[in-house]
Amino acid sequence: MLRHRLDLAAAAVLVGAMAVLPLVFPSNYLIGVLTVSAIYGIWAVSWDFMSGLTGRENFGHSLFIGVGAYTAGFLNTSFGANPWWSLPAAMVVSVLFALLIGLPTLRLKGPYFALAMLSGSVIMQRLMLIFWEHTGGEEGINGLAPLIRSQLGFYYFVLGTLVATTVVLLALARSHWGLILRAVRGDEATCQAAGINVTFYKIASLVISAACAGAGGAMYAHYQLQVSPQLFAVVTSITIITMVYVGGMGTIYGPVGGAILLVLATELLREFGEWRLMVYSCALILILFFLPTGLVAPLWQRLRGLLRRKGKDPLVPVAADVMEQQA
Amino acid sequence: MSALLEVENLNKHFGGLHALRDFACTVQRGEIVGILGPNGAGKTTLYNLLTGFIPPDPGARIVFDGHSLLRRPPYRIAALGISRTFQLCRPFAGLTVLENVVVGALGSQRERGADLQARGRELLARVGLAGREEVPVAVLSYGDQRRLEIARALAARPRLLLLDEPFAGLGSGEMADLSALIRQVHAQEGLTVVLIEHKLREFMSLVQRVVALDFGAVIAQGTPEEIVRNPAVVEAYIGRDAEVAEAAHAA
Repeated sequence: MLRHRLDLAAAAVLVGAMAVLPLVFPSNYLIGVLTVSAIYGIWAVSWDFMSGLTGRENFGHSLFIGVGAYTAGFLNTSFGANPWWSLPAAMVVSVLFALLIGLPTLRLKGPYFALAMLSGSVIMQRLMLIFWEHTGGEEGINGLAPLIRSQLGFYYFVLGTLVATTVVLLALARSHWGLILRAVRGDEATCQAAGINVTFYKIASLVISAACAGAGGAMYAHYQLQVSPQLFAVVTSITIITMVYVGGMGTIYGPVGGAILLVLATELLREFGEWRLMVYSCALILILFFLPTGLVAPLWQRLRGLLRRKGKDPLVPVAADVMEQQA
Repeated sequence: MSALLEVENLNKHFGGLHALRDFACTVQRGEIVGILGPNGAGKTTLYNLLTGFIPPDPGARIVFDGHSLLRRPPYRIAALGISRTFQLCRPFAGLTVLENVVVGALGSQRERGADLQARGRELLARVGLAGREEVPVAVLSYGDQRRLEIARALAARPRLLLLDEPFAGLGSGEMADLSALIRQVHAQEGLTVVLIEHKLREFMSLVQRVVALDFGAVIAQGTPEEIVRNPAVVEAYIGRDAEVAEAAHAA
């Protein structure tokens, strides 16, 4: 799955750094930022698994996030359920929404799926306001119990989930399943002519993607200890897509790097004060303009190439490398 | 020999256009059949109907090896053992040459658990693409893309191979190579092949039987020699394609 020892080493260094950082600089603020970046990592990697591989863009990933978070909110506060029930419940409800939107729209060509996801998230956000008596309106639901009392413990739980999600999705993406998804991106008609049930693969991938995003939403709810309609906001979906682009679409591991990088960048740019958004946006536009294949994954592929040559490793062209360079 | 594919009463209207008119044809096991016809005669429509990409008008009968193909989605028809190529090459962009062939085998139940990589390499060697396995498809020449299409179609181990204008856009040397390849897979695997073409010369030396179409209707059936002498075929072609007269002389 990790083709090269260098991949494994880099992943170990990154995860190790993420794990050790709060021990070296013990501050609740840092732990908070890292927790949020890991949750965004889960969202970005799950987006990339479906949309990055198949090329069917999902402009409403926040739908699954919001649905997962509200499921956690209702279960935990209205029904007083143990917070640990939130994760499986959020996954189930997100999957139901994925089927609701995916079944009718993913059979079709054209922009229907992208538009349905976008409008689905907008509609859910409005519904949370319209049924304010049940959902708490703008205020949302407050007073959720934390999953793990210790902030550091919760961070490690989220980080562990991110690593596990990435490993599983990366393994799937490099299996025949992933090959089929990339083939769907290449040409749906040829896939069908090759005997592949294209609709099944697209819907199944969306279901997997939604389950991960929903679980991430529930974690976010139990981190913030509250949920609000803002979770459904289109801007969340766009942020996630940006993270995937910066990471390198279709590479699965890239978007994790993209998410961590952008969350940290947002924090580092705080000293720019009110100029922050401007600096952030300009940096993003420059990245997307000059590096259309993204920043994280292509950079790593270069670095890996250099290290390999230095280590006198035989430089064999690997199919997946070519694929990544193309992606 | 027994019938592998039986088609009766196949019609297709696109609005007011009667694209295929009462088409009927039987393909025997192990045959190489050519579908001949000028542009717009309904050849590609026929393939799209046979492979489930578009539904036929009511009343049609399409039976492949005892299974009706009506109301089956394309991937199920493919799973029964019918592989097709497309008139315009449609490789999976973003995949390598080898990956393209492997995907071709993934939809086939018969390939479960097989070493698809090894089989893919073997197929590529057979179509003359050895050594290009890891190359992205985008850099292949048009002729190589055609070979790749055929390797991909063969990867599913089909019983019936439908080739849509396999010679389109090829040079004469490439055409001879491709003819040899089609003959070879036909001879080695007993594969039944149907091909659409309007390039007559290559076609006539390759196929055993020809079904000639014009304006969506079958105008003649027979051996290549019979077809080029058939007055209806000559009439349909003369003035539109001088090659037919040439081929008739050659035959």
